[in-house]
Amino acid sequence: MSVYITSTGVFLPGPPISNGEVEGILGMVNGQPSSLRVQIQHANKIQTRHYAINADQQTTHSNTEMASSAAEQCLDRAYLDRQGVGLLAVASTQGDLPAPGMASMVQANLGLPAIEILTTHGICSSSMMALKAAYNSLRVGDHDAAVVVSSELSSRLLKKQRYEAATESTFAAKRIDFNTEFLRWMLSDGAGALLLQSTPAPKGYSLRIDWVRGFSHAHALPTCMSVGSAGHPGDERTWQDYDTYADAERAGALLLRQEVRLLDNIIRMGVDGYLRLVQEGVSEPAKIDHFLCHYSSHHFRSKILEMLDAAGVGIPEDRWWTNLYTRGNTGAASLFIMIDEFLRTDEVTIKEGDCILCFVPESGRFNTTYMQLTVVKQ
Amino acid sequence: MNDGEILVEGVQGSNDVKGGDDVPVMNSNAQICLQQLLRVWLGFERDLSTVPLLRRLDLGTYTVEDHLCLLRNLRQQVIEGSRWITRTASSFDRHHAEIRSTVIAHAVDEHRDYELLEKDYVASGGRLEDILGMERNVGSEALHGFLMYRASRNNPVDLLGAMWIIEGLGEKMARSWAERIHELTGLGEDSTRFMTYHGHNDSEHMQRFYRTLDEVCVDEVTTKAIVKTAQVVARLYRLQLEELNHDLE
Repeated sequence: MSVYITSTGVFLPGPPISNGEVEGILGMVNGQPSSLRVQIQHANKIQTRHYAINADQQTTHSNTEMASSAAEQCLDRAYLDRQGVGLLAVASTQGDLPAPGMASMVQANLGLPAIEILTTHGICSSSMMALKAAYNSLRVGDHDAAVVVSSELSSRLLKKQRYEAATESTFAAKRIDFNTEFLRWMLSDGAGALLLQSTPAPKGYSLRIDWVRGFSHAHALPTCMSVGSAGHPGDERTWQDYDTYADAERAGALLLRQEVRLLDNIIRMGVDGYLRLVQEGVSEPAKIDHFLCHYSSHHFRSKILEMLDAAGVGIPEDRWWTNLYTRGNTGAASLFIMIDEFLRTDEVTIKEGDCILCFVPESGRFNTTYMQLTVVKQ
Repeated sequence: MNDGEILVEGVQGSNDVKGGDDVPVMNSNAQICLQQLLRVWLGFERDLSTVPLLRRLDLGTYTVEDHLCLLRNLRQQVIEGSRWITRTASSFDRHHAEIRSTVIAHAVDEHRDYELLEKDYVASGGRLEDILGMERNVGSEALHGFLMYRASRNNPVDLLGAMWIIEGLGEKMARSWAERIHELTGLGEDSTRFMTYHGHNDSEHMQRFYRTLDEVCVDEVTTKAIVKTAQVVARLYRLQLEELNHDLE
């Protein structure tokens, strides 16, 4: 049975925030401007993003509210009565409550009665995990319609108070601690939702899901992006192993960390997964009309792109499309926010039969996920 | 194979990003071979992260003692490396003059590299007699045995697969090991000259590699042979690095 994305929705909290305004929202740690902000923003090339906290670092929208708003918009745009939704799958790096699962909270907000729910936990690729589970539940005929939502509220992890409280952390000890600041100037908030149905929408374009695949390399590679460890070589403790949560926070075990040195592995494993799919005959590079990538082409050094070109499997840069630069890097929510705008933007002409390759790499412990969509019209 | 680095200026160096201006047009067998070689390389590179001593580079617990152990174990492979390359050159007949020239040039470039390693070892605080007295480890025996066997066959074009892995590792050492070793051990640049020496002439090497691949890889049988040899060399090279630990025990 085929499965189609028949509607999309997005929620981006507050106004777009420019590079110069970011530190006014997240706050200056101990009253001092960051010495790394400009450099990191320059490298990630993001121009504007949104935050669900205000300039006093108070939360303006909960993660559940953002997810629910995106789902509301998605359902408002759909040719489907809400009673027809059988499954709600929700992905986030961290819901408002550590327990229960975020899908319970979002379901409550949406008021969808007695549906099946699923919460996926991870980082960026948790969205693809939720999407794949929903896709499969429609394929086996359990449901005719599923809402998949992905929402991120990372600014709560990135506000100045988190860093100020980490008085005994690597961040406090070093003049420059790139690993704890890297994501502070990279991530922002937002939510995206997709409606999956077993028939295309009666009007407009739908996106048929051709396949969803993932390859995780945690068996071989160390943790690269995480919350819960203080980041000292040889220290195996995680946040709940400290006597109190306050101890964990002081040690820096609640800071979001990126082992920047290990990051190239995500690009390499991304290319590896793509080549696996090409060699399996699942993906045919020549047929890809649009490439929606959670990373932008500027993250890939010329060399690996040249090698893919030399090997006859490169994707020309004019087929890459992203809204990362204007909507920010919203982690798990990015792809859904990207698909929503891709279907509406004037920058790209979409036509029936177009093939779209989506790629969501997760640096957490190196999970790379891929999806192919085909544009259809009923 | 110096690929996929995330661009963060001032941290990992800045790079001009551009599309492939000089992308060679290779025949379809060579293209498929390159796709498969890329996969072999990416798998090899990933699995190097499971080698205990290299894991310590990732986790930040690599020591001077680890570095000495690594250099001691690499020396024999480097010495033998120049032997299999020259043997390879002599196994090509006149119909393979072009690739033979390439291999000879390569052999001239690298046949005394082990002397750099010896200097690095002493600069890192090791005793010269220790590195000179080091035997081939179990993995080096297997790797050397395999390479000499393949190099002794007529027109051993499959050894392009071996060069792909070994050259790639040379670039990786220069790109991601040397600086990390300085950072973790406090050793100076004179401890990693062997590693950094191999980071040069990167794009020229690749262009030469593409030309050679296009020239020799013209059918499925050759593709398979090149890829298979790359796989075997990748596995045996990792074995050699896994066997380092037995030296420490």
